[in-house]
Amino acid sequence: MGEKKKKRISIMSWIGMFLVSAFAILCVSPLIYMILMSFTQADTLYIRMEDIRFNLQNYGIVLFKRSYDKVLLNSIIVVVLSCLWNGLVSTMAAYGFEKKPVPGKELLFKIFLVTLMIPGQVTLIPLFLIMRQIGWLNTYAALFIPMAGAFGIFMIRSFMSSVPDVLLEAAQIDGCSEFYMFWRIAVPLVRPAVVSLTIFTFVSAWNAFIWPLVSTTKSEMYTLIVALSLLTTQHDTNYGLMMAGATISFLFPFCLYIFLQRQFVEGIALGGVKG
Amino acid sequence: MGKGKGKMSIRHKRQALYGSLYILPSFAVIMVFNVLAIFLTAYFSLTSYDVYNSPKFIGINNYINLFQNKTFKAAMVNTVKYVIITVPIQTIIALVIAAFLAEKLKNKYGAFLRSIMFIPVIVSAVAASAVWKIIFKTKGGVINQFLELVGMSGVNWLGSKSMAFISVCIVSIWKNIGYFLVIYYAGIMGISQELYEAARVDGATSFQRFRYITLPGVKPITYMVLTLGIIWSFQVFDIVYQLTGGGPGTATITLAYMIYTYAFSNQKMGYASAIAIVLLLFVIAINRIQDLFFKEKEV
Repeated sequence: MGEKKKKRISIMSWIGMFLVSAFAILCVSPLIYMILMSFTQADTLYIRMEDIRFNLQNYGIVLFKRSYDKVLLNSIIVVVLSCLWNGLVSTMAAYGFEKKPVPGKELLFKIFLVTLMIPGQVTLIPLFLIMRQIGWLNTYAALFIPMAGAFGIFMIRSFMSSVPDVLLEAAQIDGCSEFYMFWRIAVPLVRPAVVSLTIFTFVSAWNAFIWPLVSTTKSEMYTLIVALSLLTTQHDTNYGLMMAGATISFLFPFCLYIFLQRQFVEGIALGGVKG
Repeated sequence: MGKGKGKMSIRHKRQALYGSLYILPSFAVIMVFNVLAIFLTAYFSLTSYDVYNSPKFIGINNYINLFQNKTFKAAMVNTVKYVIITVPIQTIIALVIAAFLAEKLKNKYGAFLRSIMFIPVIVSAVAASAVWKIIFKTKGGVINQFLELVGMSGVNWLGSKSMAFISVCIVSIWKNIGYFLVIYYAGIMGISQELYEAARVDGATSFQRFRYITLPGVKPITYMVLTLGIIWSFQVFDIVYQLTGGGPGTATITLAYMIYTYAFSNQKMGYASAIAIVLLLFVIAINRIQDLFFKEKEV
């Protein structure tokens, strides 16, 4: 009887495995469809194998005739600046919060955490008006400065607590400068968290939509995603072209994911489990 | 400690100063773009402001107008409906799959499946919606082609009011599941294996193990997943903007979408700020309710 039960269980787990596998295929099929479509020339939705031509014609048109090369460069610049800025500022703040006797820091940290709950659209209007006031609309600064926030501090601080105080004290007694202690001792020890934060910043800055949409009014300052949104709403019938644009926007975070998959997943799990 | 007190306190003060300097850049960004911004939104919500002229104080008139506005009512209902539909579905699917993978597929194939299911998370919502828009096409869209193939009639996915709403839900659930799956999986793997072993020895079925070990074990994670899910669902903008534009009619308009259109298409900054404040109150209220619920369950 025991064996019978075992057999039934194993059948059940085969069914489960089949269902989960089917679900996984379902999850990626829209993206496979997107990539296949990007290689078709016809204005039709029916993908027939004979319509698929593995040449880069659509990509060429999107990149060079629809000036995607410019917006692609904008996106890359904004993402790099965002990652550097958020990484630096968050690590500094995490170090300050965890390792320095700042009066009232725990209260301040709580206020920071509360800001994580605020939906972006609630602060969108003042953000726009402030940027307009100081003349930052259509600048890279407007796109990357607000990318820093409480999330990164929260993420890195839990790592910072594992940096031994004795190490910092010893360095101080040895006469190391403040900068040396931060940059040469603390930062290397929290590097895994900084990597996770950088991945997170990369994806959110790359995919950001509503803020770039309102803060850039000149087409030469558009990010890739804003340009893609225009491409897909204006050229409503050229599906091959639209999907080539979408595939380009997908390719960058996807490559990052392929190469840094472990850090990707660890970062999210870290934020989730510790939250 | 006693004799060096004076010296210590100078050093202490200097350390405190350094600490403040480290925090300062983040402090400036968060204070200006989050804290000050909220107060500004609250202030603008009491004004009539079209960007070109300076804001004119009009008291709570925006709010009064808002609650007589049919579009606003629709947006409120849609936003709540959207949260109620997407959050439980994505949470349950993510949890069940994570539990299954953690129990039966702790091998390379399981890891492969997890990494595949995560991919929709990293696609931009704009690109994803562009693809889904084509998939949802009534004439010739992939789903309808399939339905016709198996002898069913095609569905007007984005054109009919009820289906357009469901379509928006499908895309956002599709996009969110992978994220919560990863969080849940890590959480379940963090539960002591001895608990499961002991239960197995006692003859507990896999459902019982799920019900009495996994479910209580991931409770803090469920709280986190629900919180994130609710906040994300309240802010849904990209998918609506790209997929339906709020239509047909007001069938898929959400508060976030309405804020955008009123502020940046109609230049009604004050009015849009009032909507933003309502959105904020909604998020706070739901979070309070959620806290109550979770605390009550703990007793």
